[in-house]
Amino acid sequence: MNTQSKNLTREEADAFGRELDALRQEVVADLGERDVAHIRQVIRTANRSEAAGRVLLHFGLGPVSFVLGTSALGLSKILENMEIGHNIMHGQYDWTRDPALDSQRYEWDNVCTGDDWRHSHNYEHHTYTNILGKDRDVGYGFLRVAPEQEWKPIHLTQPIVAAFLALFFQWGVGGHDLRIDELFSGKQTPAQLGKRARPFLTKAAWQLLKDYAFFPALALGNAPRVALGNLFANGTRNLWTFAVIFCGHFPEGVRLYDQAETENESRGQWYVRQLNGSANIEGNRWLHVLTGHLSHQIEHHLFPDIPAARYPEMAPRVREICARYGQSYNTGSFRRQLSSVIGRIVRLSLPGPKLAAKLMRSAPGEVAAVNFACAGRETVRESSESGEELAVRFPAPPLLCLG
Amino acid sequence: MVSMSKMGAVWRSAGSTVAERLFLDRQAEFWMGELDPVRSLGELRARVVEVIEETRDTKTFVLRPNAAWRGHRAGQYTSVEAEIDGVRVRRCYSISSGPSEALVSITVKRLADGRVSSWLHENVRAGHILGLGAAAGDFVLPSPTPDKLLLLSGGSGITPVMSMLRDLSVRDAIRDLVFVHHARSHAEVIFGEELADLAARYTGLRLVLCLDDDASSPRGFDETHFAKLVPDFAERSTFLCGPKPLMDRAERLFESVGASDRLELERFTPALRLLPTLTSVDGVQVRLGRSERNVVAKGQGSLLEQLERAGERPAHGCRIGICHTCKCRKQSGTVQNLVTGEVSSEPDQEIQLCISMPRSDLELDL
Repeated sequence: MNTQSKNLTREEADAFGRELDALRQEVVADLGERDVAHIRQVIRTANRSEAAGRVLLHFGLGPVSFVLGTSALGLSKILENMEIGHNIMHGQYDWTRDPALDSQRYEWDNVCTGDDWRHSHNYEHHTYTNILGKDRDVGYGFLRVAPEQEWKPIHLTQPIVAAFLALFFQWGVGGHDLRIDELFSGKQTPAQLGKRARPFLTKAAWQLLKDYAFFPALALGNAPRVALGNLFANGTRNLWTFAVIFCGHFPEGVRLYDQAETENESRGQWYVRQLNGSANIEGNRWLHVLTGHLSHQIEHHLFPDIPAARYPEMAPRVREICARYGQSYNTGSFRRQLSSVIGRIVRLSLPGPKLAAKLMRSAPGEVAAVNFACAGRETVRESSESGEELAVRFPAPPLLCLG
Repeated sequence: MVSMSKMGAVWRSAGSTVAERLFLDRQAEFWMGELDPVRSLGELRARVVEVIEETRDTKTFVLRPNAAWRGHRAGQYTSVEAEIDGVRVRRCYSISSGPSEALVSITVKRLADGRVSSWLHENVRAGHILGLGAAAGDFVLPSPTPDKLLLLSGGSGITPVMSMLRDLSVRDAIRDLVFVHHARSHAEVIFGEELADLAARYTGLRLVLCLDDDASSPRGFDETHFAKLVPDFAERSTFLCGPKPLMDRAERLFESVGASDRLELERFTPALRLLPTLTSVDGVQVRLGRSERNVVAKGQGSLLEQLERAGERPAHGCRIGICHTCKCRKQSGTVQNLVTGEVSSEPDQEIQLCISMPRSDLELDL
């Protein structure tokens, strides 16, 4: 099913991009009442589910109300982190100008700070998706999820490490933007790390206080039960988000890029990379909402700031465009994608077929084609807080409507 | 006593930090809204109590604001926020009710191409919830009230001066007041009946209606006619609001007799002229409100690049319009989105600097 995508020339990629731009434009023009109604309904469901969960945990007795309460609380955390938080923070609802749906002001209910997330995810991961050495989401710097990554003996432990990451996923996400690995490579001093970690540590402390002191204290005699319920609810959310996110970029057939081949990339080529670096999960409406529509990871990476609930209706169109340009569209059932990811993590814990994978992937002459024709584009070096970074500057895309 | 109030403030701020950190504020806001959509912890909202048809194209919306409303002074305006097809849009309207009234009224004329005024006219009924802004503006009666007053208005410009008249009437402070109002016809005089009633009640109030369909007087504002109607206008504290031609002519007239300092005006914001070219601009003035700096945008490139070239360092990320890091509030002016071609001319809109081209002078919240 996951056949190799055809290598596109820059012109072909740009034509592909123009078709996606047109689709994007069509949906943007149609955004309105029903999109706001959808997100408010999900917010309502999450809040009601949380209230129900807390009532059952705080006032209930016995295992049935405990399981129900924990599930309801877990459900509300999943909805809040995925369909609500993740999507609002992407700017999917900024067009509504509702302050409650404002990407830059939203703070979600997990230990990762909104600001760290907006930097590491919205900017770094979505701009440099699947570029080895630039997208820090590729195995998060410690897992080997693609054969192109160099094998190290530490990777032998990665099945166990990944299992721990799944259980404590919010802590992995929260610590991600701290770049602790850069401490060992000398790119960051302990003092810099300390400064960078402060907002995360502050938020984490408040989260711990909320889940394991404040709410248990409100429950008086039921305190241990409430603390345990909160722990399980957080854990459920962790496992779920881990599974969804790993299925988005790490199943078989998802491509990695090296920095050289993405230099001076055009908007069209950016689209091609987003497509080939992502994979979808098939399922019903509930699965899509519970994954925050990251089950439509492909559409999400092509259109990260379009309301995610639109992805299911955009997907057939995207697929049709992909087919015409010979691009593979990586999709499968949850079970298939998840077992593919788990298989990969286990297999790649051993020294692996780096060379073979590289040879299979790129036909001779491809690199030359990618680096061809970069007239009119400039690569700008600019300084930012985190040091020197390369940013690829695109020319302004063509205007679709004037006035 | 001072330390008590200080301690109170400290407690309140600590309380709001805790509420925010534990997401209790967001939940409280949600459940308050579920119980009654007009209630809110911080947002100013109002419930529409009544909609009154004033004339063929003008309606008064009588509002009951929530607890966040801090009142208004006669002549001030408020902003009304409507959610039209999922998008929140704000417009400023003068308040037509007096400050001592329990309810707040705005009076809105329906404009042919006015999205918000049309929406208000077509959709808003009693029971509807609207967003509201705090009352603002310095077009207000001075204190103490001047003895000799002139209220001069045209069309829907009557709204702020009507608030003043109602205020004066409630305070029984009408001594020597001339009210000159311009309209197309008798039927188009907003608050016509109430004006007539007040004029009958107060001997100190002289009401003059200048109607376009009245053959015995000139159309619109006419200097000679006006000077004949109100010979002592230069001695009166004057409050003027109306269409631009009327305001311009009246302003010049007051200037010519050296009475400018006695004239207060309330202007509607003029439409901005669009620059013709898109890919490059020539000398657009960009005012950065928060840092109180002025920047001139010149040549090619998005607003972000223009600002960087001028030495500014706005927050940004992807530079291609996907991450929304560079989002900022445009307080006035027009920009065009380089990806969608969409033109944003309304005040107080969020724009993405990296994919916006300036198309007029701008004011940004940076």
